[in-house]
Amino acid sequence: MNRTVLIIGIVITLAIVVVLFLGLGKDPQHINSPLIGHPAPPFTLKAVGTGEPVDLEKLRGRPVILNFWATWCVPCYEEHPVLVQNARMLGPQVQFVGVVFQDDESKIMQFLRERGSSYPTLMDDKGKTAIAYGVGGVPETFFLDAKGTIVAKFEGPISSGELQANLVKAMGR
Amino acid sequence: MKRASSGQWSVVRWAVPAFAIFLVAAMSMPLRAQGDAGQRVPDAAQFVGAPKGLPLAGDALNSQTTEVSSMLRCPVCQGLSVADSPSAMAVNMKEQVRELLARGYTKEQILSYFERSYGQFVLLKPKFQGVNALVWILPIAALILGAVIVVTKVKRLEQPAIADEGAKPADDGGDAKPQVKPDKSAPVAPPIAEVDDELMPYVLRVRELAYGWPGGIDPATKENR
Repeated sequence: MNRTVLIIGIVITLAIVVVLFLGLGKDPQHINSPLIGHPAPPFTLKAVGTGEPVDLEKLRGRPVILNFWATWCVPCYEEHPVLVQNARMLGPQVQFVGVVFQDDESKIMQFLRERGSSYPTLMDDKGKTAIAYGVGGVPETFFLDAKGTIVAKFEGPISSGELQANLVKAMGR
Repeated sequence: MKRASSGQWSVVRWAVPAFAIFLVAAMSMPLRAQGDAGQRVPDAAQFVGAPKGLPLAGDALNSQTTEVSSMLRCPVCQGLSVADSPSAMAVNMKEQVRELLARGYTKEQILSYFERSYGQFVLLKPKFQGVNALVWILPIAALILGAVIVVTKVKRLEQPAIADEGAKPADDGGDAKPQVKPDKSAPVAPPIAEVDDELMPYVLRVRELAYGWPGGIDPATKENR
């Protein structure tokens, strides 16, 4: 009886330790996106500045890099030049799209004027698109393949290396 | 007064129902236009289907919005529910919950919609499945194990007392001699050879009470010292 109780006690204690280790060892803000491997939620949003509607479904046929950001987000300042530079470098074979939420259009315009822009930036007024994508904070970048399936998600400011590594997945290589 | 020709009337006859059908179709489209024309945002209807409940309004809508929002975790906060968080993201999520309830979506449909985007992360109460099941099972298992240990210990502590009860002489006037059954598990009295003579009567009395030996003498060995 003593031995059985001891073994059961050790098993339960180990299980609790493992659960706590797994739970406490990871970033509490990290979200494992259930959307990976699934079609990207479709949307049509207006571009900042021009007001032109951009339909995500019409961008199919090439990989899409969908970046959620905001002007009040400090890491987004660090990330912006990386995205602009890569969009220029990769050209039309990869479509970059920025989606701004919880922000003011005039501030976005000023940000883009000061820091440059090489792809459309769209306004997500009530954050519904961000919610549909399971965005937990900005910046967050989704990689869509040519068929419109989400193949990867990156949380935080992305570097050129990380961007291209994820782009390879979106290109199916 | 100029009247419409028969050709013009036939156009009107077709145009009015066509416009009505277009209007109904536009209103029931799964991708609902939000605010400005030309914009559409992802909608719950695409992912969880048509509403399965009744549209809510007034106090019912307010209380249900609070109830459902309190079941959702704010993704930009530390352990706060959407109902409790003042962050813009939580406000947007709460607003969406309200809108979906007003359209007739049930609590389960709304939770399912948010779970589809955020996974189980967004549910403040984890589901009983996969690794999450451990969160439910482990505390209960630990509680049961603790109870088993306590019961086992208490039983062990009670054993000498039970043995005493069993060895107690029957209260029949004092003539009958106590029946002492040899028991392998019965406690062994410590040796009393070194006990002081002055203390001996007390020691024997204690042995008599503790072990049920008449006169404090071990019936097996007949040894009193």
